[in-house]
Amino acid sequence: MGNVSRLLADYGPAFGQALLLTWKLTAVSFVAGFMLGTVVTVLRLLPLRPLRFVLTVYVEIFRNIPSVALLIFIVFALPDLNVLIDYEPSVILTLALVCSAFTADYLRTGINTVAGGQAEAALSLGMRPIRVITAVVLPQALRAVVQPMTSLLIALMLSTSLASQVPYPGRELTALVAKIANDSAAGMSAFAVAAAMYLASGLLIAWAGAALEKKVRILR
Amino acid sequence: MSIQSILKSTVVALAIVTGAPLFAQGTPINTAAFDTLVAQGPVADAATIASSTWASKIKQAGKLRLGGTQTSNLFSLLNEKDGKIRGFDASLAQLITRYILGDGSKFQFTQVNSSTREQVLINDQVDIVLATYSINPARAEKISFAGPYYTSQAGVLVKSNNKAIQSYNDLAGKKTATQAGSTGPAILAQFAPKASVQEFQTHQEALDALRQGRVDAYVTDHTLLLNVLSLGTGDAQLAGAPFGAQDPYGVGLPKGSDGVAFINAFLKKIEADGTWAKLWTVSIGQRTGSTAVPTPPALP
Amino acid sequence: MSRALEDILFGAPNPKARAAARAMSVAVAAVLLVVAAGIVYQFHAAGQLDARLWKLFAWPTTWGFLAKGMFGTLASATTAAVIALVLGLVLLLGRLSRLRFARWPSVAVIEFLRGVPTLLLIYVCFLVLPSAGIKLSTYWMLTLPVGLSTAAVVAEVYRAGVLAVPRGQTDAARSLGLTEAQVFFFVVFPQALRYIVPALVAQLVIVVKDTTFGYVVTYGELMQNAKVLIANYHALVPVYLVVAVLYCLVNYAISRASKQLGRPMH
Repeated sequence: MGNVSRLLADYGPAFGQALLLTWKLTAVSFVAGFMLGTVVTVLRLLPLRPLRFVLTVYVEIFRNIPSVALLIFIVFALPDLNVLIDYEPSVILTLALVCSAFTADYLRTGINTVAGGQAEAALSLGMRPIRVITAVVLPQALRAVVQPMTSLLIALMLSTSLASQVPYPGRELTALVAKIANDSAAGMSAFAVAAAMYLASGLLIAWAGAALEKKVRILR
Repeated sequence: MSIQSILKSTVVALAIVTGAPLFAQGTPINTAAFDTLVAQGPVADAATIASSTWASKIKQAGKLRLGGTQTSNLFSLLNEKDGKIRGFDASLAQLITRYILGDGSKFQFTQVNSSTREQVLINDQVDIVLATYSINPARAEKISFAGPYYTSQAGVLVKSNNKAIQSYNDLAGKKTATQAGSTGPAILAQFAPKASVQEFQTHQEALDALRQGRVDAYVTDHTLLLNVLSLGTGDAQLAGAPFGAQDPYGVGLPKGSDGVAFINAFLKKIEADGTWAKLWTVSIGQRTGSTAVPTPPALP
Repeated sequence: MSRALEDILFGAPNPKARAAARAMSVAVAAVLLVVAAGIVYQFHAAGQLDARLWKLFAWPTTWGFLAKGMFGTLASATTAAVIALVLGLVLLLGRLSRLRFARWPSVAVIEFLRGVPTLLLIYVCFLVLPSAGIKLSTYWMLTLPVGLSTAAVVAEVYRAGVLAVPRGQTDAARSLGLTEAQVFFFVVFPQALRYIVPALVAQLVIVVKDTTFGYVVTYGELMQNAKVLIANYHALVPVYLVVAVLYCLVNYAISRASKQLGRPMH
């Protein structure tokens, strides 16, 4: 315990900044990935075979590629293609792309839970298909996938540890633990603190997700 | 596509069949000379090995666990075609292996980088680390060093068309690459405190960052920079003369190991009989166009 | 029963709608081709289509080298998967136990391993454990954290499967006089497994992805070998591209294999 308090005295502010950075990366990547994933899902519904094919390939690629490989490609290989993206946007891009692929998958499952009769009824009311999707199906689908999306958000938060693999400006929690372990003997305490922070954040997200789910879930 | 580029592609396609290396960074190493040098190295007698617990342990295990790099052009580069690692550090490692075990190829290689060099020794993952490893007091608290076997100062590398940076004095506010865990960050803190530093895990990544324009300059050991005057696309140049203190490279060993005395004796031997100079010529001198063989640093 | 949404919204269109859809498809295909051409042009403009960068893939030694890396990846992944499956079962049994002193530690371990990033666990094995005297080999420094991390998730997947088995099965088995252990291992668990095989295989894909952290502990796997090729030939884009494709293919193959097995949960 004495170790931990000494550690916090030395590195307290650094841990606070690291936590904020982790949260910031999580939030930005999730919002971007979620919106992108929703767009992909909707576009996959349209009866345009080339588009569906390309988007299916997109989802398969970003579901199966290791995030590290993707990040390394974006940071180290893209500049050779004359596309130079700075480190922070690179990390966010990587996380968002992977998040969007999983979102597209989960959302598709959510859409499957919406009874077909709803769409048929909406059509018979004279609604155009796109409007049926956006006004009838999508809202219900979103409400149905709160739980897997919460898991995805937690997984995304844990994936922000990726940022420690590139010369990122600023340290998030994992990079900070690695640095402390390298520079001093307080590695175990640093790990305990970081683990506690990750756990607490995860529990917070899980609790918020459960509350949201209870509020918006559709009882059939 | 012009006729010329089509013709060029055809020629290159023909070259594919022969597998001739059309592209190499600087002059490739003379593999025959290197392999001969390593195969002719001295072998220790039983008494010498018995006098060192570290060496005896290795002899008993039948192989030397080596921590090094495979991606450092002058010092230790793996040729994936024949599976052999060649370079100045690699030659020393293989000579040490031959010295203890009689055969320079009986080593088990673990790739390390500047962030993991100490840890692999502390973890007992390797017996020895040869990876352009600078001796400094902070590291000497965690592990022991044998040598020094080489010294180098720091240098600044910039792209050829960069006129703004003439020496380390011009690095204020510039994005500068260096290797994490190396002496680079400390040198920059001392000589160019206002530089905006980015730390990379390997020499290769830092070079690529310079080539791709992510950073304006790369500060690291001067010798590492000597061979990088051609980056492939867009050339590089050294900005200013080597600066800073003479950086001694050492052989990393577990803390308190008696391997230190053993290796120091070995280094004295190969420096005395001219092997060191020959190694330097084949690995570094011939490839960077330097003919003046430096004197090896004094051993404690 | 219910048709897919696409069928309902866009199925059986009238001739005008069909023509419109065809026209749009052609337009979209044209746009995608332009985008693809743009990407190829970008490669060309950056000099990345130069044969000197790609010729290394014509050599069998290159592929052999990459294969060695892939072997390292799969060796670690397989062991980690086995650890995850076995340890996950142990944690599950603890979680489902009626004994409090078995249940609470299991819940704590599961929540802890799920709530901490795998990379952080790997750093701990590499940087922190040795100073506490625990020295693992490079292989185990990667495989153990990945296995532990996945075990926790696998335990939860098992649990979801077990909860999905109809209660009647357990009741019937008990009324037949089977012991609790027999009820679980012969009646409930086999049925649970068939529901969750896709989810388990998805975890296997995640295990393969996690092995890319191998270079953090200096374990030789595919990413590591890619860097050697790059140091030798400076073909950053081709090598990383090929490696990314290899990973995608392996993981895709694993996912496809899962679709042949198991059935979806009710």
